[in-house]
Amino acid sequence: MPLNPSAAGVLDDEVEFARFTRFSVEGTGPRIAESSLRVTGMHCAACATLVEQALRRANGVIDVRVSAAAQCATVRWQVDQTRPSLLVLAIEQAGYGAVPDTAAGARAMRRQESRDALWRLFVAVFCAMQVMMLAAPSYFGMAAGPVADQKKLLDWGSWLLTLPVMIFAAAPFFTGAWRSLRRGRIGMDVPAALGVIVAFVASSGAAFDPGGVFGREVYFDSLTMFVSFLLGGRYLEMRARHHAEASLEDSFGRLPETALREQADGSVATISVLRLRPGDIVRVPLGQAFCADGVLTRGRTRADESLLSGESVPIDKGVGEAVIAGSINLGAPVTMRVDRVAADTRYAAIVAMMRSARSQRPAAYRSADRWAAPFLWAVLLLSVAAAAAWSAIEPSRAVWVAVSVLIVTCPCALSLAAPSAMLSCTTALARRGVLLRRVDAIEGLARMQTLFIDKTGTLTESHGASMRITRLTTPPRDAHIADAALQDIAASLAAWSSHPLAKALAAASERPGGGVVWRGLVETPGEGLQGRAEDGVLWRLGSRPAALAHAGAAHAEPLIGGACWLSRDGLPLARFDFPEVLRVGAADAVRALQRDGVRVALLSGDDAARVDALARHLGIADARGGLSPEQKLVAVREAQARGERVAMIGDGVNDAPVLAQADVSLAMGEGAQVARAQADGVLVSNALADVVRARALARKALRVVRQNLAWAAGYNAACVPLALLGLLPPWAAGLGMATSSLVVVVNSLRLAR
Amino acid sequence: MDILYLLIPMSAALVLALLGLFAWALHGGQFDDLDQHGEQILDAAADCLDPHQGA
Repeated sequence: MPLNPSAAGVLDDEVEFARFTRFSVEGTGPRIAESSLRVTGMHCAACATLVEQALRRANGVIDVRVSAAAQCATVRWQVDQTRPSLLVLAIEQAGYGAVPDTAAGARAMRRQESRDALWRLFVAVFCAMQVMMLAAPSYFGMAAGPVADQKKLLDWGSWLLTLPVMIFAAAPFFTGAWRSLRRGRIGMDVPAALGVIVAFVASSGAAFDPGGVFGREVYFDSLTMFVSFLLGGRYLEMRARHHAEASLEDSFGRLPETALREQADGSVATISVLRLRPGDIVRVPLGQAFCADGVLTRGRTRADESLLSGESVPIDKGVGEAVIAGSINLGAPVTMRVDRVAADTRYAAIVAMMRSARSQRPAAYRSADRWAAPFLWAVLLLSVAAAAAWSAIEPSRAVWVAVSVLIVTCPCALSLAAPSAMLSCTTALARRGVLLRRVDAIEGLARMQTLFIDKTGTLTESHGASMRITRLTTPPRDAHIADAALQDIAASLAAWSSHPLAKALAAASERPGGGVVWRGLVETPGEGLQGRAEDGVLWRLGSRPAALAHAGAAHAEPLIGGACWLSRDGLPLARFDFPEVLRVGAADAVRALQRDGVRVALLSGDDAARVDALARHLGIADARGGLSPEQKLVAVREAQARGERVAMIGDGVNDAPVLAQADVSLAMGEGAQVARAQADGVLVSNALADVVRARALARKALRVVRQNLAWAAGYNAACVPLALLGLLPPWAAGLGMATSSLVVVVNSLRLAR
Repeated sequence: MDILYLLIPMSAALVLALLGLFAWALHGGQFDDLDQHGEQILDAAADCLDPHQGA
């Protein structure tokens, strides 16, 4: 679907191309833009290389990444040197199509592509069925002897019905083959196109000149069936790809198209979100997505940020609190002040990261690309050799065998093995709240042996882990209750609440939820939770009890963090202080990783004694506190020098160099910008449990890659000899080739579930 | 069996005609969203197919 010149011109409108472009300035250098384009007409990794070369030659282009699997290109270009329309033109001159990667264009393109593929598939299958009918008599021996004239008629009929298949349905193979040959390369389509042409020419010769150089046998039935199987395989592949793309777009394409801006005179105007500027005051109706990052100026609401953080519980927002673009307003109509728009929003940053991960070709794919060319040459030589050998043994089968060999070998399965699995793993991880910047990180995650974790902000939350208990009043009858027992009671009560402090209290306990059976539990939001124990005593856990309200000054609260009180029958017994709170699920995540054979170590700039205490609590043997960023870096380098594969999770500015040094690194979603920029991936939900899940999924992805490679290699090793021996008719070869790449794609899709 | 001389060209012509029919349906968008019409009855705001029904 090429753009006509005027449509390409529209792309140069600054507002228009901001929809698929991000801008950055490096130092004092020129302004640099990064645009996402969707490329049509790519069928294999070799095409991606061609598009890359075409773009690199264009003036003003700094860097290009093209992905055949995702059919998209990411181009970095200098704003003062070129325009988006010229980039699109460069791709079109290479023989491919390109449109901006915005959801609308992509949807239209998908619909067109799907119609086109369905149409070709229908022509091929329908004609193949009819050709089969006309071929049936010759299978039953009817055409032999006296009815030679009628056999001729049947052959001509077959030829006529094969024409639409050759001219129209098989066209993608011919254009694909021609494109790669013109560049002096050999692509996946070459053997298939060659097989189809050889079969068609030989059969046509036999049909119109029986007994001539091509003998009497026609292969129109095999030929048409081969084309339909191949197109069927491609159609299903395309459907799977469209499905993955659409689901990704659904989760990331929720920004509204228009916004309600309050004008200076107090009236409200509906404008395009592209026209919003920082400082604008915008009304956000109930149920609509926030159109930009900003701050609430009026009203109180709840926002669903699950899209961006994976956190499914709506978050309360009051005046002055930050809201993010793409989250949904669930509580009430509010007014916000726009702080950041379009490409600068957190939402856009996440989308851009997803795109850059999608358009990467990690080392694993490149080796597959290198393999493809020699493999295809070997196939061509083998089929020529087979034809030569068979024309000596049994000339009537020579063409047939050569065509089978050309068709049955399937480098597609080999070259799809890794990319399809990695793509579907990245998509699955993104849905679970782990955004990968580099696809290589999947391998790193699966193979990591040592995991260094930063303490503050990563393992613990900002008001973050050693809870302090302070006894308030000790009536004689309570003095015998030990601190630990009080804490157990509090933890057991806290396990019933979802308040962050309660969660932290329960998580800090050895046996949360255990010990006490509660009756008549009542939770009052903002105040606390109360319930009766078995012995009928009323316990309450929550904010400062009324009895202490007037004597508050006597008990200074901690400056950071929080505190909660435990009281019995209205009498305050103890106060729990949370200078630092262990992240929910952090202890479980560390244990799960250790069970999994990962050596977990703490690296922290914090006071050594506190780090040790936390490490003991979590069962981490190796903990180093009081480290400077340089010392952290040395620790990681030492582990790497010992030959270990090192992973690092951090959040702060001081972690950035370490994150860059480690083999694979993850940053917390609420961490510093520089940490997120250095890391290979981001834990959007800030939950360490995601690391465990991501590692499990990454290992599964590597397993799937191995399965795919084994299947593709095994398939070729088994079928090529069969074809050489003349045991595989061309239609079976076509079925085998289509199935082999389909098996690979379907196997990879298991990851995305 | 002379009838084959008529039937085979006829069947070939019929096949090509059917291909044309399918092309028209496909490019008219009839296969773009197969669920759309099934779900239409659930949409209260949609246009009524037969305004006289039940009148």
